[in-house]
Amino acid sequence: MKKLLLPVGGAVLLCSGPFSMGQKGPAAANADIYKSVVRIECATQSADYRTPWNSGRFGGGTGSGFMIGPNQFMTNAHVVSNANRVLITRRGSAQKHPARVIHIAHDCDLALLEVEDETPFEGLKYLEFGDVPALESQVRAIGYPVGGDRISVTRGVVSRIDFRPYAHSIVDSHLVVQIDAAINPGNSGGPVLQDGKVVGVAFQGLRQADNTGYMIPTPVIKRFLKDVGDGSYDKYVDLGITEFPLFNPAMRKALQVPENGLGVMVASVLPTGPCDGIMEPGDVLLSIDGKPVDNAGNIEVEGEKVVLHEVVERKFAGDEVALEFLRKGEKKNVTITLKAFPHSRIYAVRYGERPRFVFFAGLVFQPLDRNLYSTYGFDSPRVRKIFQNYVEDAIFKEREDVVVITRVESDRLTSFITGFKGTVVDEINGEKVRDLNHAYELLYADNLPEFITIKCNGLARPIVIPAAEVDSANKRIMKQNGIFRSHYLGEKQPAS
Amino acid sequence: MSCNYLPFLALLLSIGGAICLSNPAHAAAESEGLLRINTTIQTHNVAQPWELNQPSRRRGLGAVLEDGNILTTGEMAANATYIEFESADGAHTVPAEVIAIDYEANLALLKPEAGADGEWIKTLGTLPTGGSAKPGEEVDIWQLEDNGDAIRTAGSIRSVDLLSTFASGHFFLCYEVKASMQSASSSYTLPVTRDGKLIGILASYNSKDQICDVVSPDILNQFLKDVRGGTHEGFPSLGIATVLTEDPQFRKWLGLREDQGGIYVSRVLPGSGAAESGLQEGDVILTLDGHGIDRRGYYQDASYGRLSWSHLVRGSKQVGEKLALVIMRDGKEKNLEATLRRPPDSLIPGHMHDKPPPYLIKGGLVFQELTRSYLEAFGKEWRSRAPLDLLDALNNPEDYEEGRSRLVFLSRVIRTPATIGYDQVNNRIVTEANGQKITDMKSLVSALQNPKDGVHSIRIDDVPYVIYLDPKASDSVDKALLQRGLPALERLP
Repeated sequence: MKKLLLPVGGAVLLCSGPFSMGQKGPAAANADIYKSVVRIECATQSADYRTPWNSGRFGGGTGSGFMIGPNQFMTNAHVVSNANRVLITRRGSAQKHPARVIHIAHDCDLALLEVEDETPFEGLKYLEFGDVPALESQVRAIGYPVGGDRISVTRGVVSRIDFRPYAHSIVDSHLVVQIDAAINPGNSGGPVLQDGKVVGVAFQGLRQADNTGYMIPTPVIKRFLKDVGDGSYDKYVDLGITEFPLFNPAMRKALQVPENGLGVMVASVLPTGPCDGIMEPGDVLLSIDGKPVDNAGNIEVEGEKVVLHEVVERKFAGDEVALEFLRKGEKKNVTITLKAFPHSRIYAVRYGERPRFVFFAGLVFQPLDRNLYSTYGFDSPRVRKIFQNYVEDAIFKEREDVVVITRVESDRLTSFITGFKGTVVDEINGEKVRDLNHAYELLYADNLPEFITIKCNGLARPIVIPAAEVDSANKRIMKQNGIFRSHYLGEKQPAS
Repeated sequence: MSCNYLPFLALLLSIGGAICLSNPAHAAAESEGLLRINTTIQTHNVAQPWELNQPSRRRGLGAVLEDGNILTTGEMAANATYIEFESADGAHTVPAEVIAIDYEANLALLKPEAGADGEWIKTLGTLPTGGSAKPGEEVDIWQLEDNGDAIRTAGSIRSVDLLSTFASGHFFLCYEVKASMQSASSSYTLPVTRDGKLIGILASYNSKDQICDVVSPDILNQFLKDVRGGTHEGFPSLGIATVLTEDPQFRKWLGLREDQGGIYVSRVLPGSGAAESGLQEGDVILTLDGHGIDRRGYYQDASYGRLSWSHLVRGSKQVGEKLALVIMRDGKEKNLEATLRRPPDSLIPGHMHDKPPPYLIKGGLVFQELTRSYLEAFGKEWRSRAPLDLLDALNNPEDYEEGRSRLVFLSRVIRTPATIGYDQVNNRIVTEANGQKITDMKSLVSALQNPKDGVHSIRIDDVPYVIYLDPKASDSVDKALLQRGLPALERLP
């Protein structure tokens, strides 16, 4: 019953196994710090996208966390994702204290917890945050990793500071600090310290390399804390542009870019994103918030070269960004306002959500997202292409959900409905399907036509279901297959 | 010959010793109208289309027809850089040439090269072509021993079906013959006879099931009729995609009665005989030339029983002949007449046998026209491993037509001083070059003659969307590439 080793992109999340307990303190200051590092035990229920009407799988795992304020414990989002029950244990105690998640940020893998009864934790030191540690400086990772029950401390140096993917959501990249201290499953959520201050939260490793542990550095942590300051987590915002490096002299010449090593080409602008209507493909971004952008798309922040998106990393929806760019040789200065862009979350792994679905006459309809995609591994190039282009081609404008037929249950009504599994639904009864709710409304309408027709993308003929047979077929097939609920549409309820 | 000697003989054979066995049980190949065909096959490298792959050799058999020409499979002669006839005993050889080759039906007609001495072929027996055989009937399959003797293996026709034996997606009437074949030299393609008449060419043999796929006499005779008519036009097609109407709900919706059959027309290719006849998507074909088509697409054939409707078009007619259709449209029956044509040229050709792939190199950018063969080169799992956009184009060519006759794409980027920064760009569809729409390789070649404002700009369908090339830098790179052993910068169709 362990939730270790989420195998994503070679990166490994570090949350896991066994138990803890007491010890004589070394130096007093250290003893205080150790006391503030807790063990977190989490029982999970993970949705099953293959049978979305079912409860899903029950499991669990352990990780680490630390106290950062009155009844405030920080840990990784992946330690407490899909949680049914969270228990926090103090160092040297046998007591498991029920806790709950107050804020969880899947895009930067951080979470804040509180215990139901804070008295056992009164008087503990709140760990303070430091800055990004210097390259080669020494750090300590503290937590409850596998290999024993008691608290573990490992030491290492900062070996790299980089902008890298966060494995928990797959799609998000932020600043990470690589350390060579051994950090192992169970270390997840534990603090990494320097000079008595937290400089990072241990969160992932690398499977094919030795001595590479990664921690979430304080700029990301501070942003998270600032974001939840208003009581809710609003997620990261994005510029909504794709850049292409200006390494080619002919490309620079054609775009009239001076030969001073500055400027990166804007290859595409996200429809409805903050730069939509302001920037165009072929524009050359020269600076962002006054920081010059080089030909590779990098800027300098605190003496380090980082990707230009780092500027936006520390901002929030509603914040402004000053952009200077070149269009056909002419310099332009604009200020854009960052805004939330929920559609790009289609590519992020989702947690703690009940899968939405609609069952109708032996067919199961589900909205396409990363979870569904990795569950079914769609092989139709059409589905793959729609998924890949959902944001870039603004497919979301026409269909908020890409509705996919994921199952065709066996029944006399469906025996000849072959080749429709894993295809995208375009139209139901001649109407373009906007989202899953819309599909539900069309399929379960009061006045159905004599034949319900379902047109799927790239398929030669529609699925045809006679309206007269729907009720009996629904009852029969649901009973046969143990489907006890015809739909789950999430928070949004159908209009009718 | 005593059994005791066999191991000894086998040893000798394996080291290449020529041992002459006279075996009275075998027939003399000369009188049976058989000869060997040796070919050297060389295909083009899809990644570097200016190059040929390593040659391979193929040894098969041919049947000498009454007119002295030699019939074999299309696969035997496809992409051959050299073809030669060899007498069964190996005493004579003569270079050969192709009269006609049909990749779709997997047949080829050959003759000795003009001016070469093929007189010895005239001394061979000939095989007249026979008519249809029926399932259950006995046939003979011919092979040649090393010594030149002919081996005859008896088999029986198990079933009759439309199979694709070479070019994918093209189905023609074949016999499935149950026979226990031995391995012998030159067994690549084998004549099949009945009562001394040629009724088919064996295209493949499955040793596990002991089943041979044999191109049927119907197809063989259609092919010969076509060739003898002057030029080889190829087999006709109606130009439609269809869906079966087994699903009872679907049938009700279409308004089909239970006693009716019918196949649903899901696509009508522009420029096809079907399009000309007025056939539309959504029509249901009920009969073809008076044959009722059932819900699975079969009709009752006079000689073979249940056969796919496709045989009525592709296996029974010549290009230019007419086909009568009864269709159902909006609940009403309607009569149409279609003139059969060759399948319309498709945006993405299925196969490119004997045609070197067109390409263009500019400054290190390599452009090609998309073919199915290019995608298939991504290996066994090509349907999931090939580039997504190109796969989608193959599956839905109608979405990519947009005035194109071929889909030109940037297949790769050779790292040169002119392509700095473009190293990772590959397999992108080209839409425009220097402001001109790209509809085939020729249009790209001509567009790249005229850089605009001192730079070549090439539009592609994905990041970075435009690629710029310096005309001077790319010209000098091109020159250098030629000096470094590239045979040519372009090959046009």
